[in-house]
Amino acid sequence: MLAALGARAMVDVTNAGRFGRFVWGAIVASIRSSTRPGTYPLVWTQMLIIGVRSVPVIMITGAFVGMSLAVQAYDQLAGIGLEEHLGVLINISVVKELGPVLAAVMLAGRVGGALTAELGTMNVTEQIDAVRSMGTDPVRYLVAPRVLACLLLTPFLIIYADLMGVVGGAVVSFSQLGINSTAYWSFSASGVELWDVAVGVVKGFFFGASIAVISCYKGFTCREGAHGVGLACTEAFVLSFISILALDFALAVIFKGIYNTFWPFKSLIA
Amino acid sequence: MQSRDGEAVLSVKNLTKRFGSKLVLDNISLTIEKGKTTVVIGPSGCGKTVLIKHLIVLLRPNSGEVYFKDRRIDNLREDELNGIRTHYGFLFQGGALFDSLSVAENIIFPIRQHYTISSWKEVEELVKAKLAMVGLDGYQNYYPANLSGGQRKRVALARAIAMNPEIILYDEPTTGLDPIRSDVINELILKLQRELKVTTIVVTHDMTSAYKIANRIIMLHNGKIAADGDADHIRNHPHPVVQQFINGQVGDDDLAVLRMSGTISQAQFLPRDFE
Repeated sequence: MLAALGARAMVDVTNAGRFGRFVWGAIVASIRSSTRPGTYPLVWTQMLIIGVRSVPVIMITGAFVGMSLAVQAYDQLAGIGLEEHLGVLINISVVKELGPVLAAVMLAGRVGGALTAELGTMNVTEQIDAVRSMGTDPVRYLVAPRVLACLLLTPFLIIYADLMGVVGGAVVSFSQLGINSTAYWSFSASGVELWDVAVGVVKGFFFGASIAVISCYKGFTCREGAHGVGLACTEAFVLSFISILALDFALAVIFKGIYNTFWPFKSLIA
Repeated sequence: MQSRDGEAVLSVKNLTKRFGSKLVLDNISLTIEKGKTTVVIGPSGCGKTVLIKHLIVLLRPNSGEVYFKDRRIDNLREDELNGIRTHYGFLFQGGALFDSLSVAENIIFPIRQHYTISSWKEVEELVKAKLAMVGLDGYQNYYPANLSGGQRKRVALARAIAMNPEIILYDEPTTGLDPIRSDVINELILKLQRELKVTTIVVTHDMTSAYKIANRIIMLHNGKIAADGDADHIRNHPHPVVQQFINGQVGDDDLAVLRMSGTISQAQFLPRDFE
């Protein structure tokens, strides 16, 4: 029993160490790639696959988030006669939390799954060994372009999600709930600051990098066979999701600290 | 480092490799001579592939040393190894072609990684020459998914020789091919060795192929070298394990197990097992 526990702990520590080394290698390779124009075509390709093709699905996600928020929050605010403040609530939630997090979760599913499956299959069919056998670093050739593409494009995708969240929330508020649009926008404009939008977008860099690194790592360490690839994809998604939530919490605390340092007083209702 | 008559290009000393608690290679020492064809035989799972992956340091030993031309390579960093690996060509068991790239792009891949290409015309000529060497000129724009197993291996071979390597490692080149296609691969191995004067190391369990191409045959068994010599030496080897393998016979122990489990009842679950 104790021996088994110890062995398990050894395995976990070894894997954590391996992951740490992989992350470090990926960071170094990504920085190097970004200074070498020769690798840009690889990054463009990944940007097309990872970023551009995710736009529709991310916009749909954002729109539904905004629309649901409007429907759910209206009754509470109307009960205390503050329904015209609905815009502040929806828009703050969308740009600060729900837009970034749900867009990132969507990406973890869409992009992370595909990355893990692709690299996992390459690993199982010895293609990654083939890259190494020809004297090329697979982390530089395969991981760095994907990490860079995810890192650079997730913030932009979050902007799309935010935009559609704002639009979706507004459309439902005006057409279904009958809120005065002038009041809605003026309360929103005074309640949502550039800081709130920036916080959401900056989170995107962290989310994007963690999705790419975790998915690539799971692909690289994938076990053999269809079962191995499937398992790696599942683990990659679960780990990415958890790391998105954990990062979101950590970043919320950090950004709040920064905000409070510079702007100590802010009233919630403008 | 010198062994017998030839000049050593590759050698391993006291190589030991474990996967978890499983000992795969047990204290193996071996020298590969320049320009010769060495064939490593042995039953599936005996560590043949693991051995040749050590020769190019795709795997690192638990203990022991690997030398390339008198230079120790098993302890080098990956970026230092990348330069050394350009002297090698490795043919993987399934070919390991990049399926997102066309045949021509696959062959250009190693060149592109190590040189800045100035003249695409030259590169095209080179791809044509390499494909012609494996008899597949004209297939430049095919994708690996549209090729048969044998064609894939030949394209993979063209890719392996793209950088004019000094050493070519073949991992089960004839496995999964019909006898005619296997012989095409054997002839190719012989042709490349003759024309490019490369050192060849082949891992296989196909004895027809082994006899045809080998200057020297090494048999692995339980992580150790069971036999080492030319084809005649292996054919007449006194060790029963070697004889069983080259003649393709089942051992007495295995046979006993097969016969024993012939009674169905022992292998089936009974309703009471689920209660």
